[in-house]
Amino acid sequence: MNTYPSPFDHPFGTVLDRDALAERLTAAAGWEAKNRLLVQLARELPALPDAYRDDEHRVAGCESTAWLVIDRQAGRLLLAADSDSRIVKGLLALLLTAYHGRTPAELAGFDFEQWLVTLGLQRFLTASRGNGLRAMARMIHAAIAEFSH
Amino acid sequence: MPMNAPFPAVRIRDEFPVFRHHPDLIYLDNAATTHKPLAVLDAERDFYETANANVHRAAHRLGSAATDAFEGARHRIATHLNAAHADEVIFTRGTTEAINLAANSWGRANLRPGDVILASVLEHHANIVPWQLVAQQTGAVVRPIPLGADGNIDPAAFGALLTAEVRLVALTHCSNATGVLPPLQPMIAAAKAAGARVLIDGAQGIAHAGVDVRALGADFYAFSGHKVYGPTGVGVLWARRELLAHMPPWQGGGEMIDRVSFDGTTFAEPPFRFEAGTPPIAQAVGLAAALDWLDRHDRPALLAHETALRDRFEAGLQSLDGIRILGAGTARGPITALAFDRVHPYDVAQFLDGYGVAVRVGQHCAGPLHQWLGLNGSLRASFAAYNTGADVDAALAALATTLDMLA
Repeated sequence: MNTYPSPFDHPFGTVLDRDALAERLTAAAGWEAKNRLLVQLARELPALPDAYRDDEHRVAGCESTAWLVIDRQAGRLLLAADSDSRIVKGLLALLLTAYHGRTPAELAGFDFEQWLVTLGLQRFLTASRGNGLRAMARMIHAAIAEFSH
Repeated sequence: MPMNAPFPAVRIRDEFPVFRHHPDLIYLDNAATTHKPLAVLDAERDFYETANANVHRAAHRLGSAATDAFEGARHRIATHLNAAHADEVIFTRGTTEAINLAANSWGRANLRPGDVILASVLEHHANIVPWQLVAQQTGAVVRPIPLGADGNIDPAAFGALLTAEVRLVALTHCSNATGVLPPLQPMIAAAKAAGARVLIDGAQGIAHAGVDVRALGADFYAFSGHKVYGPTGVGVLWARRELLAHMPPWQGGGEMIDRVSFDGTTFAEPPFRFEAGTPPIAQAVGLAAALDWLDRHDRPALLAHETALRDRFEAGLQSLDGIRILGAGTARGPITALAFDRVHPYDVAQFLDGYGVAVRVGQHCAGPLHQWLGLNGSLRASFAAYNTGADVDAALAALATTLDMLA
């Protein structure tokens, strides 16, 4: 029996879906409001239980550290994430919103980077900042491809 | 220029075209790279327009002009450094390649199993990793020079490390992460007295301190062009002539050879022995122009200006909570490094960038120093000739707003 708290007990992708997040981000006009919203989203994402904040789930970055947990249950993708940076954690909340609890079929054709562009967050995809976020989206898509086989 | 006149930063700023394109930019990332004055941009463009050819080989007039420009740059740089001879100046791609040259050429020829290389905890990875690589190849070991509680090196503790096995001391002129200035003169003197060679990483020192390699007394001095108002892609390793004479080549190719045959190859004299392939010719000309540009200014007034900006910034920080200045109690160059009690440096930098303030966050390629500090990262503001008091005040206002937002 698993006595650890579930890392997947968070509202992103379940209570809060893509449409809800898109509405909030669109309402946040300008970089300052968007940054503040990312910080707010980070507050709404519970801390990843310590048991998962290990090297296995660590995604190395030069400027901040992130942790990403990918699992699968009943054909659905389960995701949890955290970061020591609140802006990165807010971006991870968007990543969870897009992928957590979805089936590979529901995600067919979904382009996370394009979604960030439509939300006005393209500056987080520039070469010097986007490596971590892009790498994590790629890891998720690799996991989806593996599930599908 | 009269001494004691304030440094004319506002007028100097007009010489940097980047600020015409980004008039509101508050650029406090000078330790990463400085912007380039027109004198440097013009020198490079003029070289390409009037003298472009390969150096040392073309039997035509442009070849001679290019060689004259390139060797002229070497002479001007030697003069700036007060080197005894121009052939002590070796052109490299930058500080990193300069240190790799020293490690691979001098290190592989001179290090034996059991020899010790001392590198301080302040060092940039570029002054640690090349020595670790050459240590693996030669059986030498790299040992850290520890820091005292003030974040600087204690000369007495350093002296205790100088055993007979120490062959080289790798030391920064100025920490790229905290700006801390180690006590170079006593350390170099102690290392030399113990029979060790000394390499100084001058990447952060060259733009602020006047460098006199003969007075300094070290064996190697390495720096990059782009951190001293010059072009990217060019740097210098200075080393004393008698040392270079006995150093083997480290990269093979054109220019560095005397005579090549399949029976064996003989090598050119320094500096050409260490400059395989076509060197960064226009960039060397640009670097000489950058150092000439610096030398046209009152250097003590420039350093006083940069230091005053740092002090103004740090005085303003006193009214903000949850901030610690790293290395605050010891000698530092015009760099302020900050640790935050409650916020992440990356988040702070994201807001500062939105307000037009450019700083650097992370470990600044100084992992051992951040391990010693017990920090995952820090935020660095670094000051240069074209920064003004208005830059500092705007950065402080942006930082105060940012900390409110993140509170």
